[in-house]
Amino acid sequence: MISNLQRENLPSGMSLKRRDEIYGYLFIAPQMIGFLLFVLGPLIAVFVFSFQDRNLLLGQITFAGIDNYQAMFKDALFTKTLQNSLIFTAGLVPLNVLGGLFIALLLSGNLRGMIFFRAIFFLPVITSAAAWAIVWRFLLQSESGVNTFLQAVGIDGPNWLQEPNWAMVSVIVTRALKGVGINMIIFLAAIKNIPQDYQEAARVDGATGWQVFRRITMPLLAPAVFLVTVLTIIGALKVFDTIFLMTNGGPSNGTMVLVYYIYYQGFQFFETGYASALSVVLFLVMFILTLIQWQLRRRFVFDEQE
Amino acid sequence: MIKKLPLRFLALLFALSLMTGMTLGQDTINLRFTVWTGNEAHLAMLNGIAAAYQETNPNVTVTFVTIPFADYQTKLAIELSGSNPFDAGWMPESLAVPFLEAGTLLDLSSVTRDNPDYNFADLSEAAMSLYLRDDGVFGIPFSTSPELIYFNRDLFEAAGLETPDVLQENDAWTWDALRAAAKTIKDTTDVYGFQSHGQSIYNIHLWHNLAALTRAFGGDIWNAEGTDCLLDTAESRAAIQFYHDMVFVDGSTVPPGTEADFSAGSAAMTIGFLSQSARLGEVSFEWGIARLPEGPAGYVSVIGQSSIVAFQNSRNPEVAADFVAFITNQQNVETMAQFFPPIRASVLNSGAFANANPAVAPEALETSVVPSILNGSLLPTHVEFPKIDLAGRAAFDALWNPEGDVEAVTTAACEAIEAFMQ
Repeated sequence: MISNLQRENLPSGMSLKRRDEIYGYLFIAPQMIGFLLFVLGPLIAVFVFSFQDRNLLLGQITFAGIDNYQAMFKDALFTKTLQNSLIFTAGLVPLNVLGGLFIALLLSGNLRGMIFFRAIFFLPVITSAAAWAIVWRFLLQSESGVNTFLQAVGIDGPNWLQEPNWAMVSVIVTRALKGVGINMIIFLAAIKNIPQDYQEAARVDGATGWQVFRRITMPLLAPAVFLVTVLTIIGALKVFDTIFLMTNGGPSNGTMVLVYYIYYQGFQFFETGYASALSVVLFLVMFILTLIQWQLRRRFVFDEQE
Repeated sequence: MIKKLPLRFLALLFALSLMTGMTLGQDTINLRFTVWTGNEAHLAMLNGIAAAYQETNPNVTVTFVTIPFADYQTKLAIELSGSNPFDAGWMPESLAVPFLEAGTLLDLSSVTRDNPDYNFADLSEAAMSLYLRDDGVFGIPFSTSPELIYFNRDLFEAAGLETPDVLQENDAWTWDALRAAAKTIKDTTDVYGFQSHGQSIYNIHLWHNLAALTRAFGGDIWNAEGTDCLLDTAESRAAIQFYHDMVFVDGSTVPPGTEADFSAGSAAMTIGFLSQSARLGEVSFEWGIARLPEGPAGYVSVIGQSSIVAFQNSRNPEVAADFVAFITNQQNVETMAQFFPPIRASVLNSGAFANANPAVAPEALETSVVPSILNGSLLPTHVEFPKIDLAGRAAFDALWNPEGDVEAVTTAACEAIEAFMQ
């Protein structure tokens, strides 16, 4: 034992600091190797593929320059699906962020039974996405489910999933109900983190409830609001399962979003190169939106030290 | 010294295992055979055939890999481009042409057509049409399932109607008769009278349904060469209008956006393949089958077809081809006939097939199924099918409401799909 220790302390060119570093790297190696192999590798591959004419079925690969990107300008379905993705995002983000904030504010008190209501709103988050979508497909039939209730109050409900505009509304609301719970939890945690003293001090100074919310609570929640908005926008642009299971992109491509179109190009048409180029565009859209939000964050979020 | 021993020992073990692995690898061949069935009875039967093959080829084992049908196209293409591709497997007719044209299928002619023991002439020539190319044989259909009408006897009885099988016997089984029966059933029992194939004329099975309808009226979806869309012909339009009226004028047919299902008893008739009888084993009502009804153009049978192919990328192409020949030989086709209607005339015409399917009465098989197979026209196929499918379905979505205009929609659909037919 002693000899071992002595041997390790021998001046073999390795200092204690250096050895610690090596151990450090060893400890993070499993995670890093996994990240490099399964995340960064494919990510770079997609960029490379996007400049190639690739066909999964033919196994053919040729360099195509920017052909794939040029083809998008002539592809009406690309424009349509990009639009759909933006509409979906524009519908989902306010519902999910404001809805999550509103519910969190309602449920942040310490009244009896609050935990029960929080659990209710969180339940859809842990439900399987597939089960959620399929159950809603049944609820949104033309002659039963939701429409039965509407009939009872004298409203003739639409054929939700078969009319292009209603189908888009349906998938947005279905998705919002599923995701609002996780945002609520993030907001709840942020609200609980605000020291009570600030609000009490404001009230002592004569602030009304709205003023307390507007001047104290809201600014302190700003970092959480930005985090949730960024995550929700990214999530909305990546939506696939809800669309796949509820509408298949229909009717008349009315709910076909960009990710679904990428899936079609890559795995139904086997045009892997073009699908990769579409993925790069989606990546850039997300990147730019996130960048814009980052800039806004600097302007509006005072609470952070940089 | 002692500390170093385990390392050397491990290295030795590793080297040894590599060497044994290599020698084993030379002797044993494992074929990976992909299917889309997860049905235990199907898999037990297939494993039985593989075991019989192993008796004469002790160094070959066969593993059956199930991929759900919805993912089949995607996963098959990915696996074939990977480092451990499938050796052989099932192929639905909708993918046959794209996969064949892409050169992914192995020529089986040496083990089938050129092998006298195989009795190649026994295979129905019409059923082989997709797979005979450039003097090669690129697949052997193992299941040719005609589209049939399934009907709910209890509902027909409740409505006081003659059942489709009786009408068929009296030469009165027409689309008009089907429409009248559906309307009466809806009016008397308030249950839908008719449901499209898989309730998905509005979705993934648009073409299956359109084929059955348009061909009975003398039209079709596209021509045999796949160069012209035929949906905008007067015959096809009449057929599509007929169905549209059943849904939106009669109100007798399950409309879009309604999740009704024949097997749940919420529709009195539906179009389905023979294999769908397996799912009706435990329903709470009595049911029967009839062939597709006659239209203005007479009786036209539409068949769906699944085949067995070997893949070009197989690491053991000779063995893969040999196994495909084995699984489709006379004896094994007889075994498979209990689930899959065969294309070997000798098996089809033997009593073995009539008694093979426990769910369906032998008379019904003989009167409705066998003639449908022998005279059937295949479901539409096209090398650009995936693209045609997406473009065509999107155009047809505009039809599925009461105001849907058949003429406008079929014109738009033809324009959309002909873009991929040049």
